[in-house]
Amino acid sequence: MAEAPVAPPLTEWSLLRRTLRRHRGRLTGSYALLSLWHVCEALVPVAIGIIIDTAIAPGDLSAFVVGAVGLSVLMGVLSYSYRFGARLGFEAVQREQHALRLEITEHVLHPRGARTGLLPGELLSVATSDTDAVTYVVRQLGFTLSALASVVGAAAYLLWLDVWLGVLVLVGVPTVVALTQVISPVIARRSSAEQAAVARAAGMATDLVQGVRPLAGVGAERIAVSRYRDASGRAATAAVRTVRGWGVLAGTTSGLSGLLLAAVALVAGLRALDGDLTLGQFVAVAGLTQFLAEPVGMLAEIGAHAATSRASAARVGAVLRTPRLVPDGDATPTGPLSVSFEGVVTGPLTGLDLIADPGQLVAVVVDDPGSSDTLVALLSGEAVPEGGEARIGGVPLHSLSVEARREALLVANHHVDLFEGSVRFNVDPTAAAPDDRLGAALDASAASEVVHSHPDGLDRRVRVSGALSGGQRQRLALARALTADRPVLVLQDPTSAVDSVTEEVIAAGLRGLRHGEGSSATTLVITSSPSVLQQADRVFLVLDGKTVADGTHAELLGRADYDEAVLR
Amino acid sequence: MSSTILPIASRRETVRVAWTLLRERRLPLTIATVAFAASGFLGLVPPWVLGDLVDTVGDGGTAADVVRAASIIAAAALAGALCAGLAVAALGQAVVPALARLREEVVARVLGLEPDRIEEAGAGDVLSRVGDDVRTVTNTLDEAVPYTVESSVAIGFTAVGLAALDWRLGLAGLCALPFYVLGLRWYLPRSAPLYREERIAQGERAEALLTGVHSAQTLRALGYGEAWQEQVAVRSWRAATVSITVFRMLTRFFARTNRAELVGLLLVLGTGFVLVRDGAATVGAATTAALFFHRLFGPIGGVLTTFDQVQSAGASLARLAGLALMPEADGAEPDDPASARSAARADQTGLALDVAGIHHRYRDGDEVLHDVTLRVAAGERVALVGATGAGKSTLALVAAGHLVPSAGARTLDGAAYDEWGARGVRSQVALVTQQVHVFAGTVRDNLTLAAEDADDEALHDALRRTRSSGWVAALPDGLDTVVGAHGHTLTPAQAQQLALARILLADRPVVVLDEATAEAGSSGARQLDEAATEILQGRTALVVAHRLTQAVRADRIVVLDRGAIVEEGTHDELLARDGQYARLWASWSQS
Repeated sequence: MAEAPVAPPLTEWSLLRRTLRRHRGRLTGSYALLSLWHVCEALVPVAIGIIIDTAIAPGDLSAFVVGAVGLSVLMGVLSYSYRFGARLGFEAVQREQHALRLEITEHVLHPRGARTGLLPGELLSVATSDTDAVTYVVRQLGFTLSALASVVGAAAYLLWLDVWLGVLVLVGVPTVVALTQVISPVIARRSSAEQAAVARAAGMATDLVQGVRPLAGVGAERIAVSRYRDASGRAATAAVRTVRGWGVLAGTTSGLSGLLLAAVALVAGLRALDGDLTLGQFVAVAGLTQFLAEPVGMLAEIGAHAATSRASAARVGAVLRTPRLVPDGDATPTGPLSVSFEGVVTGPLTGLDLIADPGQLVAVVVDDPGSSDTLVALLSGEAVPEGGEARIGGVPLHSLSVEARREALLVANHHVDLFEGSVRFNVDPTAAAPDDRLGAALDASAASEVVHSHPDGLDRRVRVSGALSGGQRQRLALARALTADRPVLVLQDPTSAVDSVTEEVIAAGLRGLRHGEGSSATTLVITSSPSVLQQADRVFLVLDGKTVADGTHAELLGRADYDEAVLR
Repeated sequence: MSSTILPIASRRETVRVAWTLLRERRLPLTIATVAFAASGFLGLVPPWVLGDLVDTVGDGGTAADVVRAASIIAAAALAGALCAGLAVAALGQAVVPALARLREEVVARVLGLEPDRIEEAGAGDVLSRVGDDVRTVTNTLDEAVPYTVESSVAIGFTAVGLAALDWRLGLAGLCALPFYVLGLRWYLPRSAPLYREERIAQGERAEALLTGVHSAQTLRALGYGEAWQEQVAVRSWRAATVSITVFRMLTRFFARTNRAELVGLLLVLGTGFVLVRDGAATVGAATTAALFFHRLFGPIGGVLTTFDQVQSAGASLARLAGLALMPEADGAEPDDPASARSAARADQTGLALDVAGIHHRYRDGDEVLHDVTLRVAAGERVALVGATGAGKSTLALVAAGHLVPSAGARTLDGAAYDEWGARGVRSQVALVTQQVHVFAGTVRDNLTLAAEDADDEALHDALRRTRSSGWVAALPDGLDTVVGAHGHTLTPAQAQQLALARILLADRPVVVLDEATAEAGSSGARQLDEAATEILQGRTALVVAHRLTQAVRADRIVVLDRGAIVEEGTHDELLARDGQYARLWASWSQS
């Protein structure tokens, strides 16, 4: 990652090229050593031939000893060159996978976010399987190059022995590889159809397990299982087709290699009869040709690996290319931290006005979830007003610099994310708040019960899903937002999963914690909870994306549209 | 305690499960076996013939001999190729559908498990089994398994061929075996803990990645994104270093196999040298032996390189077999008395539901229900209210037959739940929980989960009665719009409306609703209230009422406080008592 911070690679090819470039030292070493290894492998049958020729046939002991020492040296070189060549390649691949994974998380966790448009599951699969697959070809390339080196070496040896043998191998091997390449694309196609079918079946299984409660609730397990059986059956059919393809490829490769061996045996045998080849040379030729089946198989595979890696590189590239959620701003608030919207038009919002001054607890009643989400997106800078002005401290919300935004404002949307770890970590991940602040936030959000009801207290372990009820999770998330203690706090439906008495406790707690005597904190709550509305200094009523009224809860009550929106 | 964690099959059990599945596919399995054997045998022909040719050439053979030898090699190559291809295809034909059957069994068992058991074992464990493990095994079946079988057969035949050629040469080759064994004995005990470490490191990496990706928005808002990125970096690098260590170990193991190869080859050549010198064997035989032995390098290396892959597939298979071997959920099949009972009762308006003396304590937790007794008469609608954490959801699960209480009796229509069986109870009682889940598929798929054969008319009727016709009609493809993961995103309220529509289609006499309207904003919640009222019509109902409007409409309200029933009565009676309900109501209806 020490390379110059150039723009992220855009195409799959540039991504693959960059992989080669940034590990060029390791990869060059790896490819060279692997080639040495493979050439040595090719030399083993040659050495066997020489030993038979010079030692075994004439019964020469000293020649045998020399031959044995030579063979040992050859195997030693072979062994060590593979060991270090393969290691270097493996390390390069691991480093690249690590770097790609970090690039993806860095992109997603960037302070300005990333508009990937992918579901978390899809993104996770890009960050794991695809980053792995991108590098397959890099490793495979080492074996392809080494196979090529051994084929070229073998051909050179044969050419030196006998022109016809050399020509036979030089023509034969590419022909075999070319013929197998006719089948490879069929396998690649079938295999990707299979992968898709398997992924669909696996995805379905995951989906059904995640929904097991609703399924059990209506006794739908049997129907769900029969649907999964269909999907799994389709995946099996596709897999059988792929395996048949592999069968054809295996048969073709071994058949063609065998025919090549027969042809070489014919030519070499005739030459040996003529006395042009010694017995040992004949053995070497036979052994070498038998050995060639392996590098030929390796050469045949590179196409399929390249296709897999390319597809994954395209997906990784697509994620890294996605634009930021929040525009790049450099503004800092110029005045007191008040939030103001004037005639904002964006998506479902058709004319939103609201103002929250420092020290105020302001509530917004919004009649549809779409408008509420858009308001949250505007406040967090993820949306830019198409019309009107949305400002904080006098500057447009979307123009804030990352630091200024983080200092001024926290937007806690309705969706609750808990992390693996203790309650303390969940409420105060940066461990920045003193204990009394933490306690006050837990009290204000009525979350102390979650802590006190468990022997481990603040160290109680939280699981990402399960264990805690919806209401407990929501209160922990609220406690976290309060602990962060930013000057401006935006809360979206913070009490939707708690009962009305707790709701009242929270409303009072919110008021008490953030809006005590002389406080300059600004709190904006999107809610329809009467308890919270009652505590608010001012309430804005937004219907059909437009602010239609404002005032205190008491003032607004009695308006038919307000009662319709907040009464239950 | 360990009984609640999901089982992993022992090696013997795994083999048994695999064999049971494979037994049904005897024909392809037999073809594969024969074809592998034939191709293994035919693979010996070329080195054999070549060795012969060495003698022929040495003894002044003719061109015709060479042509004949080449023809035999060619014929053997073609026949061997045919067998090899057939073997791979037939093996696939036998094994792939067997695996499909296994994963189907596993999913069927998992979906039959109590949801609590899944959550307790960690949904991650279950999900990784039905997802990753199935994928791991499937992927090895394409390439690694045929390759391993092929290589093993080649090794076996070559060893036999070597012995058949000349027992002394065979013995020399066999002397390499201890060196391979020494290599394995060096490698296996060292690698096993490293592989475990690798799996753990990768698991931690996956967890960090998942949180980073899932909670990106929250992490960014809190300004904790960079710190989390650091966390991901640490764990990812740790996983990478462990993998590198494992690989180094593997290459050192390969060096040991190289040593074994060298020892074997030298012994074969040396024995050949002595035998040829003493006139006990021909140069051709020595050549064949050396070529045979050299021919082993590839397959042995192949078996060793795919060894890891096959081993991890074996581990995955054991995890799958563990689930497949779990006893099936108890319960009544359609012809059981319990079902006959339901048929007899089908015309009634609801069934009476009784729970008495219920206590419940979750694992590692305090008691959450203390001696709760509650009767819901046939056709009655009872609302359960109380503060969060009062035990309402637990009681709802217990009543719906989805959670077995630590103590207490439950009856449905006068018969104990045990008598009904878990399935029997669920065939009568429908449950909607707070957990909303939109199944990946069309809206129609989501609905017909509850009633397979429901026609469009029934579906539209259910949608209309749950106030969902409007938004469903507005979807791009109406009923056939793909929703859920990868599809159109529905709001929580819409998802819950679909769940309620499913209840209508499932048409059970008893319905338990657990805060079914909690996730919607107030306007959406009102629609859900109406939908809930509609689906409870003519059924026995227990409703955990988060919104007290639900309680007002109930025949009776039960107030739960810290696990015990504290008040019971109609809305008006409870208001008059001026107790907990009255307080809840006051804060609910304040304005």
